[in-house]
Amino acid sequence: MQSDLIIISEYCDKSHIEPSFISLLEDDGLIEVTRIEDEQYIPMSQLSDLEQYARLYYDLSINIAGLDAIHHLLKRMKHLQHEIRLLQNELRFYRDIE
Amino acid sequence: MAYIDYYKILGVDKNATQDEIKKAFRKLARKYHPDLNPNDPTAKDKFQEINEANEVLSDPEKRKKYDEYGEHWKHADEFEAQKRAYQQTGGGGTHWYSASGNGFDEGDFSQFGGGFHSGNASGFSDFFEELFGGAGRRSRSTGFKGQDYNAELQLSLREAAETHKQILNVNGKNVRITVPAGVANGQVIKLKGYGAPGINGGPAGDLYITFVIPDDSTFKRKGDDLYVTAPLNLYTAVLGGEETVDTLNGKVKLKVKPSTQNGTKVRLKGKGFPVYKKEGQFGDLIITYSVQIPTGLTEKQKELFRELQNS
Repeated sequence: MQSDLIIISEYCDKSHIEPSFISLLEDDGLIEVTRIEDEQYIPMSQLSDLEQYARLYYDLSINIAGLDAIHHLLKRMKHLQHEIRLLQNELRFYRDIE
Repeated sequence: MAYIDYYKILGVDKNATQDEIKKAFRKLARKYHPDLNPNDPTAKDKFQEINEANEVLSDPEKRKKYDEYGEHWKHADEFEAQKRAYQQTGGGGTHWYSASGNGFDEGDFSQFGGGFHSGNASGFSDFFEELFGGAGRRSRSTGFKGQDYNAELQLSLREAAETHKQILNVNGKNVRITVPAGVANGQVIKLKGYGAPGINGGPAGDLYITFVIPDDSTFKRKGDDLYVTAPLNLYTAVLGGEETVDTLNGKVKLKVKPSTQNGTKVRLKGKGFPVYKKEGQFGDLIITYSVQIPTGLTEKQKELFRELQNS
């Protein structure tokens, strides 16, 4: 849907990000860019990823490969934290019934 | 705002070279970057502090002012002008500052009207706010995302079983949230934009709410299933009958088969906990029968048991 897309040029302008940064991310498959006529867009669903990439890139000078690796590790960390929480709750259950 | 020792923040000596400052900043920035510390609510403040220290110490001009005027260095230009005027008039009059190299005496500053310790909401020093308008980025002058807030919300098991609204007071602001049925103990939800306002036009931070669901006296929860122990009198256990058992939505009457053993489990499908964000779906309720041995028997009752024993 059109309303779920963000115009890249406007986003870059507002966020003070160079459009070339978006191209680098696209080239390495970190984000997907949609082209409609002459305009480039990114889906709203990728906005939080893009913001995180930009922060890490500009704040810490991490290169594109590093961004990808960090993104994967953070995702794994989140998944593991979710598992820990489930296990903690399950452990609590077994402690209670002892 | 109290004096902030930027050298201490970066862990460098006062005589540190620009290279040493840069290296220290990079190391600390990587360590405390909020994106790399998603579960540490202090990381964002620490990161902003590091950024602020770097912005000042990595700029020779700002660093010089900071070294010279210490706590009150944001007014360095003002002081210099006053100093020149004072010298031109040949001195005399009120002594209004002490250039001891350690900054100024606090009392003397009241003459400038307003004092110099007015903090600001963002936690940055005033000087930094004035110069940079918030935590600056090294490569782009964009706004900085506001601080994320963390809050804990305690719910009873029964509250967690129903979608309902709650009003949270976050930093003096009431935030109305809808708690979906089925949230788990320790689960965190993010409310985008409900954190502190952004700095320099940046987006507002987010609000992270952690649900705390203490143990319930009746039900134990495991995932979406609920467990309950139901006492069963000996006679019903032996001869069969009916037993009323608690569920989350009230009591249900169950048929008990004859010769039901202690610890027998019965599963009631769909009578457990609601499945998170799946309306109409529920876990199961697992009932464990705990056969109660009668106590305080009369002589006659004991006799009957002996008869049973010998029959």
